[in-house]
Amino acid sequence: MPITYRLAKEFNVAANIIRAQVAPDRVGKLVVELIGDIDQMDAAMEWMESLDIDVSSANREISIDEASCVHCGLCTGVCPTGALSLHPETFRLEFARSRCVVCEQCVPTCPVQAISTSF
Amino acid sequence: MRSIAEINDKIRSGQVTVWTAEELKAQVATIGIQAAAARVDVVVTGTFEPMEASGAFLNLGQTDPPIKIRRCWLDGVPAYAGFGAVDLYLGASHPVEFADGEAPDEGRDRGGGHVIESLIAGRSVQLRAIGHVTDCYPRGSFETSISRDTINQFYLYNPRNLYQNFIVGVNGGDRPLNTYLGPLQPNLGNAVYVSGGALSPLLNDPELRLLGIGSRIWLAGSQGYIAWEGTQHFPLQKRLPNQTPIGPAATLALVGDAKQMQAQWVRGCYFKGYGPSLMLGVGVPLPVVDEAVVARCAVKDEEIVAPIVDFSIPRRVRPTFGLVNYAQLKSGRIEIDGKLVRTAPLTSLALSRQVSEALKLEIQQGRFLLSEAVAPLPSDRTFIPQDRWGQIGMESEP
Repeated sequence: MPITYRLAKEFNVAANIIRAQVAPDRVGKLVVELIGDIDQMDAAMEWMESLDIDVSSANREISIDEASCVHCGLCTGVCPTGALSLHPETFRLEFARSRCVVCEQCVPTCPVQAISTSF
Repeated sequence: MRSIAEINDKIRSGQVTVWTAEELKAQVATIGIQAAAARVDVVVTGTFEPMEASGAFLNLGQTDPPIKIRRCWLDGVPAYAGFGAVDLYLGASHPVEFADGEAPDEGRDRGGGHVIESLIAGRSVQLRAIGHVTDCYPRGSFETSISRDTINQFYLYNPRNLYQNFIVGVNGGDRPLNTYLGPLQPNLGNAVYVSGGALSPLLNDPELRLLGIGSRIWLAGSQGYIAWEGTQHFPLQKRLPNQTPIGPAATLALVGDAKQMQAQWVRGCYFKGYGPSLMLGVGVPLPVVDEAVVARCAVKDEEIVAPIVDFSIPRRVRPTFGLVNYAQLKSGRIEIDGKLVRTAPLTSLALSRQVSEALKLEIQQGRFLLSEAVAPLPSDRTFIPQDRWGQIGMESEP
């Protein structure tokens, strides 16, 4: 299904692919930035949902609960962009928000549920 | 050089010199072993990591009429009740259990460790018990809420803590794996290690020369003790010339009063697709009775190794990709078969340091005295696999 093509052709919505995980015969995941007219955007979202595509708004961001985090660092191993890292001296968790693509792999990885997504 | 009694006199009079293991390593690098040993009385080590072979004993006090509990749940987590009438043992890695047809979304990812954390934090916990009715224990069931202040005893007895070194987990297969080391991504996507390396208590006393049954340790903010050898205690693991083992080796059983513990050092945790566990902070003081103590404590990350184990083969003996040292692991990248692989710890190195600092402060303030061991820990335990399954059944065949 050429989703990004139809978004552009039928809704005049530009799709900037930030991250794609797609394989034949498998459920895939696209992280895209959509740019277009607000009404056409709503129509585009409705169209995607009508195709049984799970659409979740990704203008959310990762937030880390400092009070819960134990700085174990487990999340740093699954972060594809290096947005989550351990400081080389203090070994405390550091989060570079600008590098985060909200892939959310860190959320279920955190053993103390200190990471969540929020708007 | 100095006895434990002499060190305790110095602690009582506020004259003691305490260094963390890291401070000692730095000092040895500049002034050498001999000078360092002359100056320092106690070296403190600490760790904060998941220790799933942990749990708590609880005694509730009797109800009226009395009950002999045989099945029991605390916040939905089953506790073992097959001994004293109102004695319970709550295992840290037991998942929450729901009645048939009950499928709440919330709380699925909780277990014994979370209940232990709640009790230590002073929160109340729901208790549901079913009794075995006898003439002396007529009550059939009991429901209440308990807190650490409304029960008689509440202490941790952890049959296997403080692993002396461990493994590094990787996944050489083609599908993601959920393990006790957290998610391992396919095609060597990440590597997880779970020891503080040169910070780790038992790697600073590799032969367990300074520790034994009865040694006082710092257990989650309370004063606890080494109760016994830990389960799977394997001191005969292969060792480097510096006597540090090249894989999982010694373990200790620890005991301590949970009513005295601080919640920040006892954290229930959950590994997706694996289950619940408990993260614990444990500190171990090492008395500098001679220069050999300092020589052992001076060990560096680059001098301690662990095996890289492939979890994609679900067998007891899994293939390995060789050994890697902790300096490489802590750098965030290791090379496996020519491929750079991200590493992540599961031991919190930051909180391990805080444990050491907390213990150091208690000793400096005269609130924590060292103790002589009552008996040594065994140094000759082998590691027995369970390979004789099915033998009895086969013999009974005609």
